[in-house]
Amino acid sequence: MENNKAYEDLFLVQKRSKKIFIFIQVLSVFLLLNFWKIQVLDHKKYWEKSEANRTRKIVLLAQRGLIKDRGGTILADNKASFKVSIIRENCEDYDKSCRKISRLLMIEEDVLKERIKRYESFPVFKPIVIKENLSFEEVAVIEARKLEFPELFLQAEPKRFYPFGNLAAHALGYIQELSGEEIKNGLYKQRRLGDLIGKTGVEKVYESTLVGTDGESLEIVDSMGRSKGEIAKREPEKGQNIILTLDYALQEKAEEVLEGREGAVVMMDPQTGEILALASYPTFDPNKFIDRFTPEEWLDLINSSEFPLENRTVRGQYAPGSIFKLVIDLGALELGLVDEETVFTCKGEIEIYNEPFKCWIEKGHGEMNLIQGIRNSCNIYHYQVAKKMGIDEISRYAKMLGFGARTGIDLPGEKAGLVPNPQWKREVRKERWQPGETISVGIGQGPLMVTPLQVALYTSIIANRGRKVTPHLLNSQSLAGKRLFSEKDAVDIELSTFETVIQGMWEVVNKGGTGWAANVKGFDICGKTGSTQLVSTEKDKEKKVEEEEEEEEAKTHSWFTGFAPRDNPKIVVTVIIEYGGMGGATAAPIARKLFNSYRRKYD
Amino acid sequence: MIDRNLLRNTDWILIGILLLNSILGVAFIYSTSHYLPGNYYVKQIFWMVFSMIALFLFLCVDYSTLVTYSFYLYLVLIGVLGGILIFGTPIAGAKSWFKFPFFNVQPSEIAKIMIILLLANVFAKFRKNYLSMGKGLLSVSIIAVPAFLVALQPDLGTALSYIPILLGALFLAGLNKKTIIGILICGLLLGIFGWNIGLKDYQKKRLTALISPSQDPLGSGYHILQSKIAIGSGGFLGKGFRKGTQSQLRFLPARHTDFVFSVVGEEFGFIGVVLILLSYSFLIWRLFQSIGHARDRTGVYIIFMVAIMIAFQFLINLMMIIGLFPIAGIPLPLFSYGGSSLLTTYLGIALVLNVKMRRFANI
Repeated sequence: MENNKAYEDLFLVQKRSKKIFIFIQVLSVFLLLNFWKIQVLDHKKYWEKSEANRTRKIVLLAQRGLIKDRGGTILADNKASFKVSIIRENCEDYDKSCRKISRLLMIEEDVLKERIKRYESFPVFKPIVIKENLSFEEVAVIEARKLEFPELFLQAEPKRFYPFGNLAAHALGYIQELSGEEIKNGLYKQRRLGDLIGKTGVEKVYESTLVGTDGESLEIVDSMGRSKGEIAKREPEKGQNIILTLDYALQEKAEEVLEGREGAVVMMDPQTGEILALASYPTFDPNKFIDRFTPEEWLDLINSSEFPLENRTVRGQYAPGSIFKLVIDLGALELGLVDEETVFTCKGEIEIYNEPFKCWIEKGHGEMNLIQGIRNSCNIYHYQVAKKMGIDEISRYAKMLGFGARTGIDLPGEKAGLVPNPQWKREVRKERWQPGETISVGIGQGPLMVTPLQVALYTSIIANRGRKVTPHLLNSQSLAGKRLFSEKDAVDIELSTFETVIQGMWEVVNKGGTGWAANVKGFDICGKTGSTQLVSTEKDKEKKVEEEEEEEEAKTHSWFTGFAPRDNPKIVVTVIIEYGGMGGATAAPIARKLFNSYRRKYD
Repeated sequence: MIDRNLLRNTDWILIGILLLNSILGVAFIYSTSHYLPGNYYVKQIFWMVFSMIALFLFLCVDYSTLVTYSFYLYLVLIGVLGGILIFGTPIAGAKSWFKFPFFNVQPSEIAKIMIILLLANVFAKFRKNYLSMGKGLLSVSIIAVPAFLVALQPDLGTALSYIPILLGALFLAGLNKKTIIGILICGLLLGIFGWNIGLKDYQKKRLTALISPSQDPLGSGYHILQSKIAIGSGGFLGKGFRKGTQSQLRFLPARHTDFVFSVVGEEFGFIGVVLILLSYSFLIWRLFQSIGHARDRTGVYIIFMVAIMIAFQFLINLMMIIGLFPIAGIPLPLFSYGGSSLLTTYLGIALVLNVKMRRFANI
């Protein structure tokens, strides 16, 4: 030892070391306070974050209920399909991510961004579907590169599939992705972004029955997103199946006979209101709507001048033409203005209220009674019936027989048509009713507008001799079909009145009348043809200018409506062919094929 | 060689608390890595046993002898640190380890012991009230050489962990206002220089992540955020041993090494944090209290620097895991998995015990 003292004077260094010790203690207390804040004060926040870290909620999509025809043939089915969504929250760099995804999934970057942009306002953790109907290769690629793309979320979903393509497309409708607005306006509370819902047809009307309840699975995941097992699960509940009144074979036939034309067919059981076939042509393939990316065909469909999306059976409004003549015949008979033996003479032309009116045959039909008037569909005869009746009675009977009001069928967007009267003209057109218009309306022209389904209903009222039913697509035997199609009050017309008119209708088809082409041997068909001329009102005159160059034939819509058999009627067939020419020439032979098909199957 | 007096003067309480903390550490290493291959907790037990043997061997040699030869030990250290840069195999991108068949040794950890011994030597005969320019520059360069070599590995965290030891020694020697200002200016210049030239991008990101960890949750802020989630979700009582979802499901990074204390927070809650903090505080208190039992200035410096070494690693590690300090790769002494760190702590404690048991001069 250098110094003499045994022990050094260490007072100063020891004092300094104590200062440091105090400093360390202060720091420790400061740290402890920080831990207190994180663990006790902010515990809830961090607990939630750790739960969010470790659990993943997976929606197990429920299958939509099937839609079957009356014989059990599946018209709307489900098939397995994969879709991939993006969770923006998980993107490290949104633009880079989009670029990489566009390469991975072969989607153009602009299309992808546009797609995501539509849902911009939704929370970033919500998955947005970017591609569906993935091929197995695509599924494999996404699965394999899961770690590289934490923002992608792969999901299996049962997908709607219409095995017969465009068969009954208008009746079935189609499903499409729920739009952002539809979610926000709260109509579909249980549904989520990207869910598919029925947009029209039966799919829409019975949405709540068809749609199931989605299940949910809560999984534990590790930091790499690998599942470590399920902790809770609620199985999805499949939507209920529904059975329709449609008959697959008749529907197929109805579409077959319409092919290449524009028109509609309604086949209905007059006693129950069950619709056996509901065809509108041109048509579309509802399978195409399920894709979330709008294909070009979709644009073609919307922009087509032939309106293939329009369901002509309930939304097409046409002048009824001669098929309306039965309305005034029924009314006039019932009111006692005419009877079976009332005779008028047709010379091919007549002047009423100082206006010339023509029959459809230039040389005229000659002398005839009411039944012959129906058989020949004579205009001159009916002008005089209409004149006797007056517009108020005509419109009253038209409404009684189902015109001017929705039939109440279980389809969305049904049109009501139009039954004009002086009051309507005053209020809507701000014009006075012209007496000549009564004459036009009497033969189904003028502002009168009807839908093919209304014509079918009207035919069934006649077939039932006054009993009115509600046309419907849902089979009452269907489990979901607890909805009752109430029978409305019977029409206030005598049975004998009906029998007279039905005799006329029978002769139309079976005794060389205008509808002879609809004749099916041994199947007592009663019917009525119609050919609408687009000439009588001023509004139609504008149309006429455009169509002047076309032939007269081409401008008429061709109608046929009828029922069979005459006693105890089983089937109503209504056909309209747009620009089809005379009813007897075009619509009647088509109706014949349909009656034939029905008879082969059911009679 | 060890007489009865020495045995009687051994601080068994210090050894006890040392063992207790090491065993708790093994338990947490087990909790965080039992599902991983590599048997980390077994290896840690092996290192514990090895370190304990090293500790007792270290007690046999009088610390004054160690201090006498400290300069040669230091030269060997510089040689080793230089050699590792040339011959070392990089592990995880850094040439920090010497590879042996069953274990790796990190000389930059053990370097702390050599540095403490040499600094003690430098200040052994320093009797002035305030630090002189010469001693100051000498001690700075004693730290600077190994720190520079370690920073080249690159292992900035360990290099920076030498600084509290140096500052502690300087403080003990006595700092007047002029010196403090000088150190601050030097530090500032070094900081600016380092930010612009020395720091790698990931290191800069770690610093900026401190300010707003949630801005970039999957980048630099991820570690801090996940660590805070682990600690915060533990709440007051914790989720239970081996039941911490953040660590068991691997959301927490480096959970058996640098972030092992986050697991304490998650699995044993605030209660666990307080208890472990108390046991560390007791260890640190015991070390500082030992200063009074040193027979000479050398002993005081040794004990003080060991205490500083352990205390600051402890504090910085805890600040790091709750986002108050950049993620600098500083392990929690005795808790974090890693043999070299454990051995260094044991050797440091051995030095303290050595000084304490030889407090009565043999005159």
